[in-house]
Amino acid sequence: MKRNKIFKIGLILLAAGIITAGGVIYYMFNMPHRNIQSSKTDYAVKAGQLVIEYLSDPVTADNKYLVQNGDSRILEVSGEVASISEDYNNQKVILLKSKNDKAGVSCTFTHETNPSVSGVREGQNIIVKGVIRAGATYDEDLQMYENVILEKCDIVSKI
Amino acid sequence: MKKLSILMIISVVTLTLGAFKSNESKWVSSKTHLKFFSTTPAEDIAANNFKAVSTIDQATGEVVFSVPMQSFEFEKALMQKHFNQEDFLDTRNHPKAKLTGKITNLSSINWEKEGKYDAEINGELTIKGVTKPIREKGTITVSDNMLKVDSKFNVTLADHGIAFEKGKPSTNVAKTVEVTVVAEYQQQ
Repeated sequence: MKRNKIFKIGLILLAAGIITAGGVIYYMFNMPHRNIQSSKTDYAVKAGQLVIEYLSDPVTADNKYLVQNGDSRILEVSGEVASISEDYNNQKVILLKSKNDKAGVSCTFTHETNPSVSGVREGQNIIVKGVIRAGATYDEDLQMYENVILEKCDIVSKI
Repeated sequence: MKKLSILMIISVVTLTLGAFKSNESKWVSSKTHLKFFSTTPAEDIAANNFKAVSTIDQATGEVVFSVPMQSFEFEKALMQKHFNQEDFLDTRNHPKAKLTGKITNLSSINWEKEGKYDAEINGELTIKGVTKPIREKGTITVSDNMLKVDSKFNVTLADHGIAFEKGKPSTNVAKTVEVTVVAEYQQQ
């Protein structure tokens, strides 16, 4: 009788263990993407400064801003709106760039944050929060400067 | 003395015209869509990237694509993490992939006349720091003040040092993935 009870408890524990493990694996496999806007900001920086950091020492900048698994640093970048456009995924793209800077910071919004862009004008100073995907560089094949790329953006404030 | 100054004027004018001409022949695109698709009996995996930058020089036929690798978006977050990791694409150390090539049938494209032209590109593809020759076909659509490029080609992952001997990736990721490219260009 007693042995039967221990066996029963053991069986229940084993089942609970299997269900938990299954749940963890299921969660891992279907893990949601990181929510950039509700995550903590890693660095607050001016668009021009970020560009200079990348142009002067790209390796150090990549080590500072890019993360191995692709969940790279979340930045709040302030700068002047140079242009507003839309990409092939119908996401709004704001380029933060001063006239004298060689490159700028290209900020791509999402379908959810696109409405934030309405009312933004060229020449305005704004702060944008997003995740960095790549740094600024002069590309010899393109023969032009490439902008810093920020994605999953939203506007933090308009100055 | 007079001869020298005339020579100088001529060379300055030629250089200026030359610079002007090469500017006029260049097309730039930051409106792009790259998709890669891997299919195996186990599963289909797709990723999209809207952040590549590309140029085409209609005078020389040179084509360049620069692709920020961390901008590839997967449906599943875990797959995206794997993709970026050291043993896959190692995107922190190789943040950009690059294609440089030349249109080999440049004479059959009329850049002044609206229409759809078949183009062949011969060049090099660099992924994860490994450069391999590439030959691909695509179409160039010339319309009012705009160019559009469409292409589809295959990339063999092992060519670029991306190989899986064991585990889930070896059965679920195809050895050769299909890459679809769309880009819209404006003249500079």
